[in-house]
Amino acid sequence: MSPQLAVVQYYEPWWIQILKAVVIFAIILQLQPILIVGERKLLGRFQGRYGPNRVGPYGLATPLADIIKLATKEQFRPDTSIGWMFALAPVISVLTAVGALAIIPFGDTQDIFGTDVGLYGLDVSIGPLFVFAMGAVAFYGIMLGGFSSGSKYSFLGSMRAAAQLISYEVSQGLALVGVVMTAQTLSLTEIVHAQQGMWYFIPQFLGFLIFLVASFAETNRAPFDLVEADAEIVGGYFTEYGGTRFTSYLFAEYINMCVVSLIMVTVFFGGWLLPFGINPPGWVDPFIVLGKTSFFLIFFIWIRATLPRLRYDQLMSFGWKILLPLATLNTLVTAIILVVTD
Amino acid sequence: MAEVLFFLTAIGAITGAVGVIALRNPFYSVLALVAHLISLALLFLLLRAEFVAAAQVIVYAGAVMVLYVFVVSYVGGTQESGHRLTKGFKLASVAFGAALFAVLAIAILGSGLQALDTEGAPYQAGFGSPREIGKLLLTDFLLPFEVASFLLHIAAVGAVTLARRRGGLETQGELNAYTALDFARPAITGTMAEAVGGRHQRMPEPGAGADASPAAAIVDSEPSA
Repeated sequence: MSPQLAVVQYYEPWWIQILKAVVIFAIILQLQPILIVGERKLLGRFQGRYGPNRVGPYGLATPLADIIKLATKEQFRPDTSIGWMFALAPVISVLTAVGALAIIPFGDTQDIFGTDVGLYGLDVSIGPLFVFAMGAVAFYGIMLGGFSSGSKYSFLGSMRAAAQLISYEVSQGLALVGVVMTAQTLSLTEIVHAQQGMWYFIPQFLGFLIFLVASFAETNRAPFDLVEADAEIVGGYFTEYGGTRFTSYLFAEYINMCVVSLIMVTVFFGGWLLPFGINPPGWVDPFIVLGKTSFFLIFFIWIRATLPRLRYDQLMSFGWKILLPLATLNTLVTAIILVVTD
Repeated sequence: MAEVLFFLTAIGAITGAVGVIALRNPFYSVLALVAHLISLALLFLLLRAEFVAAAQVIVYAGAVMVLYVFVVSYVGGTQESGHRLTKGFKLASVAFGAALFAVLAIAILGSGLQALDTEGAPYQAGFGSPREIGKLLLTDFLLPFEVASFLLHIAAVGAVTLARRRGGLETQGELNAYTALDFARPAITGTMAEAVGGRHQRMPEPGAGADASPAAAIVDSEPSA
């Protein structure tokens, strides 16, 4: 290892890094069909019906049929649209959603093929800020998609997205400050290590609740799905999209759901740690993380089936007048407690 | 590898910067600025300033530029033509551009180019990490940090104050009231009434016997120019 690399602790060989990138992407990609069929099944049960049950055993092959249907559709765009932007926007959404996966820790450092490999894409010193940066760029995917479609519904949808993402990103970020102050680090793996004694959702319960609510808004999920409110603005920013480009937006939304769930698990629920002093071998770690994550994914679906959509003014006043002051208060109180007990 | 990345991002940054001023459509101009800012963030990453890079993307590309995009996509999108500019304005802009170029050239020739043939400052572990930057902001640079945040706070309060006046104009009661600002500020710098072309006039209340209605007061006060 060259001395320059030793200083910045890039200890992994390049082929391991490529391998990790492919494996993490492939696993999360394969989660999406399961998530989609699970959502449709669960929504069906919540609403007193069966849900999809025609394709394959128990309807499990439904996402396969969906994908074939979407991929074989005609590529269409309206005359009034702006071509290159119309094609670029879904790419931005997918890129940023997948990019945010890079820093999620799925486990501690393991010995694989004789080299030490961390079960995460990158362990950056800025941690959650990386995810927020990706979220900031992801906004342009939605915004440009709506703007370039050249239709009123799309434009309204992207304008709603702009206002909503900006409003809730602040609370989402502030909710994590309490955890960062308690753990004294921004690195996600070190935040997990700092939760050995107690998971942070107990001391930072308010922060966890704020982050949870803001995450629903950031991922445009019900009850904050005004961006794509089908009763008001048809499909919002992707009204004019069809075929694989629409699939890209759908894919980005579900990946984002996975990312915020993974962040919640990492930051508030101890990542790969288990309670009661259970200490399984290292290869179990990713399964623990994914198991905890699936709980939040089901919670997302549950909320979608339960709560009605907010009105726009309710959304704004909730974000700025309730969530943001609470998040600030949480930060302040955490800081005071930390200074007093230090 | 680092050289390739540097040139890619540097070309991106320069292209974006040129695009901002060269593109006629304001929406594309804003997008070029976003591309420029993201390229700058990548350049910061190459300098191992991870926190600065993230802050650049979150604050500028994510918050400030979102506002620009928001406004431009609502009101902009039309081809902005240059022939409305007067000759004096054009001359002034050339003069200011030349002055800025001179200042930047002095700064770059004086200091920046000296580092070209050197190895540059050595990398110390922890440099540019959030911990170090936080320490600096809260110890050595506490005063500038707080002053900057106070300035932003004033801007936010000012924006809210302006935006709250949905009707645009003050009521006659508010126009009649004297405040400390009336004596402290120069004329044509304050109220919305002035902004839409009226002077700050005090009239009797409509019900108090005078026949001057608030609408008449505004028409009366058309600027003579």
